[in-house]
Amino acid sequence: MTTQLPPGIKLETVDDRIMTLNVGPQHPGSGHMRLIIKVDGDYIVSCDPDPGYVHRGEEKMAEYRNYIQNVPHLERPVIHDSSNILYPYCLAVEELLGIEVPERAKYIRVIAAELNRCIYILYWLAIYGIFLGHSTMFMWPAGDRELFIDLLEAMSGARVTHAYLVPGGVRNDLPANFEERCLRQVDYLEKRLKEYLAVFYKNPILISRTEGTGILSRTDAIRLGTTGSVLRASGVNFDIRKKEPYDVYENLDFETVVMKEGDSYARSYVPYLEMFESCRIIRDAIRKMPKSGSVRTKLKPNPKGGNDEVYKRVESGRGALGYYIVSNNRPEPYRVKISVGSFRNLICMPYLLKGELLGNMPAVYWSLNYWPVEADR
Amino acid sequence: MSTAGGIIRALNSGVKHLAIRRFTLRYPEQKLKFVGDGFQFNPETGVGIAGLRGRHILYHEHCTGCQLCSVACEGIAEAIGMVKVNETWKQNKKAIMPQIDYGKCVFCGLCVDACPFYALYMTNDYELSSFTKSALIYTPAQLAIKPKISQDVEIKIDNRGATHG
Repeated sequence: MTTQLPPGIKLETVDDRIMTLNVGPQHPGSGHMRLIIKVDGDYIVSCDPDPGYVHRGEEKMAEYRNYIQNVPHLERPVIHDSSNILYPYCLAVEELLGIEVPERAKYIRVIAAELNRCIYILYWLAIYGIFLGHSTMFMWPAGDRELFIDLLEAMSGARVTHAYLVPGGVRNDLPANFEERCLRQVDYLEKRLKEYLAVFYKNPILISRTEGTGILSRTDAIRLGTTGSVLRASGVNFDIRKKEPYDVYENLDFETVVMKEGDSYARSYVPYLEMFESCRIIRDAIRKMPKSGSVRTKLKPNPKGGNDEVYKRVESGRGALGYYIVSNNRPEPYRVKISVGSFRNLICMPYLLKGELLGNMPAVYWSLNYWPVEADR
Repeated sequence: MSTAGGIIRALNSGVKHLAIRRFTLRYPEQKLKFVGDGFQFNPETGVGIAGLRGRHILYHEHCTGCQLCSVACEGIAEAIGMVKVNETWKQNKKAIMPQIDYGKCVFCGLCVDACPFYALYMTNDYELSSFTKSALIYTPAQLAIKPKISQDVEIKIDNRGATHG
C-alpha cells in the first residue's frame, strides 16, 4: 500500500544499519529536552538536539511588568543560580534608570552570587555523578549544598528562589554574625571538596569514562561560540569577571581556571576548581566589605526608563549571561532579551557526539553545563 | 597511579564516612532555626530586615486598606485580594484588608516591601499544607494570628564533620 504524500514532502530514507533513538524529553537523564540520536551499532552517527519543551515566555512576560515586579519571575529559568541570573538584569536596569548602588550592597551582591554559583555547581556535579552511575557523588554534593543554602536562606529568607538582588542594591542587610558563620561554612566546604578528589575526580572508573571523550579543540570552542566552563576547559582564558569586571570584582583576588584538554574530564573538572576560587572570592569580599552603611537605594514608585537600550552581562555558573533591555519612557521595559550560556553551549552536541559510543553520551552531554529550562527561557 | 590503587583510595575515602556523624536533618522531629522573626521591612530607610519569608502576619491596628500590597502582587502571583472586614478602625475607613491565597503565593515578599504602614510582615511559619484548596486562602483574621514556632536545631561544625545534632 502506498500513500500519496503532499507535494514537496519526502519521507526520510534511512540506511538499514542506522537506528534512530529519542533520548528524552521525559527521560530523567536528558532533562526537559530531546536528543535525536542516530546510531550505527554502538556508535553515534549523528545527534540533533531538540530543545523548547519548557519554553515559558519569560521575555514576553517581562514586557508587561514594571522593573521591580520583573524580579521574581526572571529568576525562574535557573532557580539554582537565581542570584546570577538576576545580576545582569539589575546592572542593566541600574544603568537605564541611572541608579547609584551603595558600596556595601555591591559586596553583598558578590557574596550572594558566589554562594549561588557554588550551589549551582554542586547541584550540577550531583547530577553528573548520577549520570555516570556514581551514587556517592550524587549524595555528597547534594548534602554539602545544604550548607550554602542555609547561608543564603539566612541572607535572603528563601531556600532557592531568593529574589534578593534588586535594581538599586539588595533587599535587606546581612543578619547578625553572618560573616563569622559564612567563613566557618566556607572553610568546611573547602575541606569537603578535597574529599571529592579521591572518590570522584581521581577515581580510575571516572577517568576511563570521561578522559578523551568528546574532545572540543580550542579553535572549535571559539568558532562555535561556546562560553563559560566549556570555553575555559578548551584552553581559552576568558572569564567576564576578569575581562569586563562588574561591581567590585576588580578589587577581589581570584584567578581564572583554565585547562587545555577540552575533553569531558576537563569540562567537569573546571567547575570543581572554580568552587575553590568562589570560596576565595567570598573570603576576600567579607574582609574588604564596608562594615556598615546603606544596602539599597530608595527608588521612586514605578520608575521609568528613558528612550534607551542597554546590554549587560555577567559570568554565571554556565557562562556568559546577558540582558539586553530596551525602554521607551514607560515603567515597563519595551523588550527584554536574555542571552544564556546553556543555549550557546548546546551547539557543541552534534560536533562532540559524532563517532562517540552511545554509552559515553551522558558523560559528554552533562559536562556541557547545560540547563534545559534556562536554554528555553 | 595504578587502577587498583585508585579504586582502593576511593573506597577508603567512602569507608571513613562510616565513623562520621550523619549530616541529614531529620525534618519533622528537628526543625532548623532561622534568624529573626521573619522578613520585615522598614519603609523609612527602604531596606528590609533579614528573616525567613514564610507565612504573612497582618497587624489590623496598622492596616489602612490602601491596597498597595495587592497592587504589588498584581503582576507576580495575584495571590492578594482585598476583602471587607467586620471591624472598625480609625485609620481604615473602607474596612478592607488583604486576604492571601497561599495556593498562588510565591513568597517573594514584595508585598512586605510595598507596605508603608508597618502592617504586613512575614513570619517563620512555612508549614501551610492542607487537604483542600480553600483552606489555603487565609482571611485577615487568620493572618493576624502569631504562629507557634518550635525551631531550634542549628548546624554544628567540628573536626568530625558537620551535623544537625
